Parts: sequence; structure tokens; C-alpha cells
Amino acid sequence: MTDPTQDKAERRRSGVDPKLLEILVCPLTRGPLRYDPEAEELISEQARLAYPIRDGIPIMLVDEARPLDEEPPARPGKGADGQ
Amino acid sequence: MSGRPPRPAPSGHTHFGFRTVAESAKPALVRGVFDSVATRYDLMNDLMSLGVHRLWKAVLLDALNPRPGMRLVDVAGGTGDVSLGFLARGGGAAVIVDLTPAMLAVGRARAGERGLGAGLGFVCGDAEALPLADMTADAYTIAFGLRNVTRIARALAEARRVLKPGGRFLCLEFSRVVLPALAGLYERYSFAVLPRLGRWVASDEGAYTYLAESIRRFPPQEELAALIAGAGLERVGYRNLSGGIAALHSAWRL
Repeated sequence: MTDPTQDKAERRRSGVDPKLLEILVCPLTRGPLRYDPEAEELISEQARLAYPIRDGIPIMLVDEARPLDEEPPARPGKGADGQ
Repeated sequence: MSGRPPRPAPSGHTHFGFRTVAESAKPALVRGVFDSVATRYDLMNDLMSLGVHRLWKAVLLDALNPRPGMRLVDVAGGTGDVSLGFLARGGGAAVIVDLTPAMLAVGRARAGERGLGAGLGFVCGDAEALPLADMTADAYTIAFGLRNVTRIARALAEARRVLKPGGRFLCLEFSRVVLPALAGLYERYSFAVLPRLGRWVASDEGAYTYLAESIRRFPPQEELAALIAGAGLERVGYRNLSGGIAALHSAWRL
């Protein structure tokens, strides 16, 4: 749609609300999450899962999370939801 | 057609409307229903309830009594009716948790239109495994959502977990009509008229057949009150709305 650098900057701006991040936990372990703004993922080290953030909305479902021991998708958030 | 008597589902199975499905299959089926109807969900609610769902939600907001320091966790609140009402009435912050991203997208667009984006968070999550830390909410609401949850007891336990001590639990849901004269009419309306409305307006008859069936499957007032108490919430009460077509259950984490 737009040039990729601008796209990324915009997505970061519209990223997840920091106040929301403070109260989010892993739904599997209820452990803490680490925000990875580059991959747009919330990482649960305890569960070894990465929860995607799509359009600024954290998808906190175990079924949708990426196991950390797998390769990260080439372009997170784009065409990765199989729809 | 007086609604088949609810029979308990076999172990590992649950009800999806009148169908019995594997427990593990229900979340995807529910998501399918709401993905399918998301953009027309609010219009359908208006048509289905003849606008009365707005009055019911206003009763919920009255009970909630929003205050500036209050944080609301609004489960299954996708299109934002409860949270936007809460913020418009002076509530502090709200987090909407919904299983269906398409419903959250509708809610976020509406929040933007009304300039209520600040103080509002959107999370895709499951009511049975909330992605929220313990004791983070001053109030927990679930409006027309608990019916779609696979294991109601788990969702109620999660509600208690995320509530702070002194926090308020409110559940608005379809219930059992308590007026005999209304019951037959309502039955015909929900099984004959609702699915047709669904077909015309949302192009999805199946989704609204599911709706009518899931309402019949849901525990009636007293049974739901007992489940809420069973989850460790206290001072459980309810009031019937529109003759029991809906009910507002209230409880506290003490």
C-alpha cells in the first residue's frame, strides 16, 4: 500500500497501548509477556509462545500463537492468518 | 415446538445451539458465527430485540455506575456497546476482550467515530482463559456473551480472578421468560422470525438459528445464579428484564 518504512512506522504508532500491555499476561501460564515491536509479537517465555499483534490488537489465543522454536513468519501480520 | 429439553452433553462434548459438538470445536464454531455477522451485528440486535437491547444495556450501565477511577473488563464486548457507554458516562478505562477479531474491529471503528478511543483497549481472547493479570478490574461485564462460552464455570472463575476484592460482576444475558402469555409468542418469534431476519439482514440464517437455540440451552435465572455463587462470587442477585427475555445477574468479589 505504502512504502514499507512508513508502513512500519505507522504500525508502531498505532501499536498496542502501553497501559494495556501492563495488565496483559499469557493466557496459558498467566506469566509475563515481552513486547517485541519489530515482530509485533508478545512473547511468553514460560509457554514458549509468541502471540501475534494484528492491526494493533493482541491475539491472545494459544491456537493462534507461534511456538518459539519455529521460524518466525517472513512478514508478520500479513496473510498469516490463513483467511 | 417448545424447545427441546436441554440434556447434558456427553463428557468432552458441549452444545452448539441444539447440536452436540466436541468441546474443542465450539470456539471455532462461535467465532464463525460472529465473523459472519460482525458488520451487521448491531443492526441485527436492534431488529431482533426491537431496540430493547439498548434499554437492557442502559440498565446494565446504571448498575455499573461508572466512575473516573474505575477500570472495566468487558468480556465478549466486541462491538463496544457496554464499554463505550461506560466511557461516555465517565468511566475511567475499559478493556474489551472478544474471541472474534472482526467484532473488535467494528468496536474500534465505532470508538474512533465517537472520539472515545482513549482509555479503551482491545484484546482478542477467550473468556475461559483471560490474558489479564489477577485483580486488575474494578468491574467485569459480559453482555450476551456467556451463552457462547463452552465451559461457563471456567469463565466465571476467570471473572473472579481478574476482579479486585470489592469488584463488581455483571452479566446481561437472555434468560427464561417468566410470563406464560409472553412465552409462546416469544418462542414463535425466536424460532420462526429470528432466523428469517438473519437471512435477510445478515445473509446468515444459520447464525441466528444458532442464536435462538443457544438461548434455550442457557441456564435459567436461578441456575445461573448458583453457578456464579459456585465460582466464589458473593451477594449474587438478578433482575428480570422484559419479563425474563433477558436477566441481569450481579455479584461481587469480596
